[in-house]
Amino acid sequence: MTLFLLSLLVFFAGQVLPGDVGRTILGPFADHDAVNEVNHQLGVDRPLLVQYGTWIWHFIQGDMGESYIYRVHVAPLVLQALCHSLKLSALAFVLVVPLSILGGLLAALNVNRPIDRIISIAGVSMTALPEFVTGIVLILLFGVWLRWLPISAAWPDGAGLLVQVYYLILPAMPLVLVLFGYIARMARAGMIEALDSDYTRTAVLKGLPWREVIWRHVLRNALLPTITVIASQTGYLIGGLVVVETLFRYQGIGSLIFNAAKSKDFPMLEACVLTIGLIYAVATLVADLLYSLLNPRIRIRNAND
Amino acid sequence: MTRAITTLDELRSGLTPLENHLIDVFVDGRVSRRELLRHGSLLGLSLPFLGRVALATGFGAAPTAARAVAQPGATIRVACYPPSTAVDPVKGSNAPLYLMIQQVGEYLCIDGPDLLPKPCLAKSWKPNEDGTIWTFALRKGVKFHSGGEMKADDVVATFDRLTDPKNSSGALSAFKGILQKGGARKVDDYTVEFHLDSPNGNFPYLVSSDTPNAIILPASYSGNFEETWDGTGPFKIDKYTRNVGASFVRNDNYWGAQALPARTEFTFFADIQPQIVALKAGQVDIINTVSALAGVALLDDPTVDVMSLHSVAHQPVNMRCDSEFFKDPRVRQAVALCLDREKLTKGLLRGRGVIGNDSPFASIYPSMDPTVPQRNQDISKAKELMKAAGMEKGFQVTLTTMQYLEIPAYAQLIQSWVKAIGIDLKLEIMDRASFYGSLVLGKSPYLDSAMSISDFGHRGVPNVYLTSSLMSSGPWNPAHFKNTEFDTLANSYIAALDLDAQRAAAGKIQRLLLQETPVLYGYFYDKLTVVKRGIAGVQPTGMMQLFLQNAGKA
Repeated sequence: MTLFLLSLLVFFAGQVLPGDVGRTILGPFADHDAVNEVNHQLGVDRPLLVQYGTWIWHFIQGDMGESYIYRVHVAPLVLQALCHSLKLSALAFVLVVPLSILGGLLAALNVNRPIDRIISIAGVSMTALPEFVTGIVLILLFGVWLRWLPISAAWPDGAGLLVQVYYLILPAMPLVLVLFGYIARMARAGMIEALDSDYTRTAVLKGLPWREVIWRHVLRNALLPTITVIASQTGYLIGGLVVVETLFRYQGIGSLIFNAAKSKDFPMLEACVLTIGLIYAVATLVADLLYSLLNPRIRIRNAND
Repeated sequence: MTRAITTLDELRSGLTPLENHLIDVFVDGRVSRRELLRHGSLLGLSLPFLGRVALATGFGAAPTAARAVAQPGATIRVACYPPSTAVDPVKGSNAPLYLMIQQVGEYLCIDGPDLLPKPCLAKSWKPNEDGTIWTFALRKGVKFHSGGEMKADDVVATFDRLTDPKNSSGALSAFKGILQKGGARKVDDYTVEFHLDSPNGNFPYLVSSDTPNAIILPASYSGNFEETWDGTGPFKIDKYTRNVGASFVRNDNYWGAQALPARTEFTFFADIQPQIVALKAGQVDIINTVSALAGVALLDDPTVDVMSLHSVAHQPVNMRCDSEFFKDPRVRQAVALCLDREKLTKGLLRGRGVIGNDSPFASIYPSMDPTVPQRNQDISKAKELMKAAGMEKGFQVTLTTMQYLEIPAYAQLIQSWVKAIGIDLKLEIMDRASFYGSLVLGKSPYLDSAMSISDFGHRGVPNVYLTSSLMSSGPWNPAHFKNTEFDTLANSYIAALDLDAQRAAAGKIQRLLLQETPVLYGYFYDKLTVVKRGIAGVQPTGMMQLFLQNAGKA
């Protein structure tokens, strides 16, 4: 139902976007009759409900349709872009999750000390900076001046996994910077609360080694809200990277959505948005499952219910 | 052994009266050597022949084909925008798409940087007496990349495809009223006649690179260009990845001189700033197109050369002649007199452009009449005109335009200048798609606004500017200018076959437009291509095309 409502919303909201498909294809000064002919061939001159109905009928049967602009089937393009986005977001996750948890832990263990202030202030500052600013600075630093990393994420044909990772490091860095402050702050708050709790005090008084207290009692409880935050960022990391993808010439699903919206390429837009919607739903489900896995109280309560 | 110098009489033998007239006016000094080359080329005379005419009259050596001092075998890397639609030479209509198809395809003739129509797949062309039939002789031995020989059937099929309303061709508006489906007719395998709807003295431009859709495709073309990339050009497709880039390799079976680069690579960027960064990072050698405003950081960069090509691209300021504000031509003239054109070209364009004189006849057109006085800023005269029109108290009006190149800054300058004559200009700046809308009255801010600024790309001849945006029947006439005298003059300019007649008509048009001033032509901006130092032989055109067959690393 959520996806159905989403598809309706995208379709009807998309109608208010300026321009029409025929003129996008043929250019602003194209002959008016030629524009009408293209619109007729594509079926975008039919009533909106007919257009939507035809599209959803085919979609239900597994046919995502053909792109108005590129005149090819949408499904392979969406799948390819999704693969790209997953690679970039996976790398960003691999980098940012341990880094920010470590940052939160360090800050919590040194509350109100210089190290805590540095991590907190730096994290918040980086979160506040838009990706296009950090992206440009990183490109200039690592791509233009030092020339350590390629400025484009488009790796050469036949590149292996390591080469792909090499090309993705620079685009992943702005994402890491944006997410670090957010996740580290959540981890810090959770850690402070856990460190102050009775069960931590009991564990310490029991004589457990400090490392074990942190690992078995503090971290496990402190990370529960952090996991929710990480899960909520999944959709953004996969579908919301228009700026980063544009800046680094990366063919992810974000730039596909952006281009489809610009050109009113409705089948492409719908397919991309529904894919992202599906990912959001799955990510939320995974977060719930993880939450219950890590928090025995939830499992017990569910069992009792 | 051939003689180096031929007498003029020998050269004249066999020429038509029109061609002899051109030589007469050249000898009289009424046209320059450059104009002789340009107009002679238009009439179908070859450049070596025209060079011999110039030599025989003491005007210097024959032109020679320029070849870069460059090493063969290089890979030339270009940054450009991605095609916004599927790459189809028939339906496509965006500059990056034209750049792509031009890498593999060729035109009957090429309108190069000097505005001379040069033979390409056609080796010569001739008009009939009144310019209603143009006959093109095709080059023999030209092979498509798929193997077949290019013949008249392919040329006829190409133009039938472009002029057939059913195909919704991107070139349909260019051919409207000039050439219909069936107008291109095969005479024999290597000769094609174009039967026009009305006389046209500049027709070769219409089948040249000036009409970027008009690459010659095989007669069997079925709309699958992204699969075949079948053309006759010096490069063949290697790989095309949508929104990522394209690479081309040298065509070893090319009919002309072999291309110098072994390979060319085009990397697509959605914006100009990443292109500049890629050039700075050494990841591309060329940025195909950059505006003066966006590329200001590169203009003084010692590591690059900025190739500044005079073009006729411009940003007309349209004033609706049927609106309450601009119905009096004196008000329109007053607005025009507020513009400081020197400042516009030096400041806004960083010197990369030429000033305009409120007509589409830019100074680089040979047919432009240079005796028409240049309009300059004159605020006191502007105030007098406003008073005479009963508008001395001024008025408030909205200038509608789009976010594109230098236009918003241009609009702000106009806003500040017209304050001096009491006009309170409100700016409404929108995105490009919203601005043009459906391009019909009532659904297009471009056509509906009392005052607007749009953008027109380069053309080798001004015909389309006259017919489409100034004629009473013009489909894109945002000034709503309706003047029967202008229509007659424009038609006579278009039909004129010799340069004298064209210049005479142009002079009258220029004077009429200065009087009426439906549109302000403040400047014509250069086409800027940025090339890394050490790369030679790159040849851009005003139409955003890029010829790389002579390019290489010096």
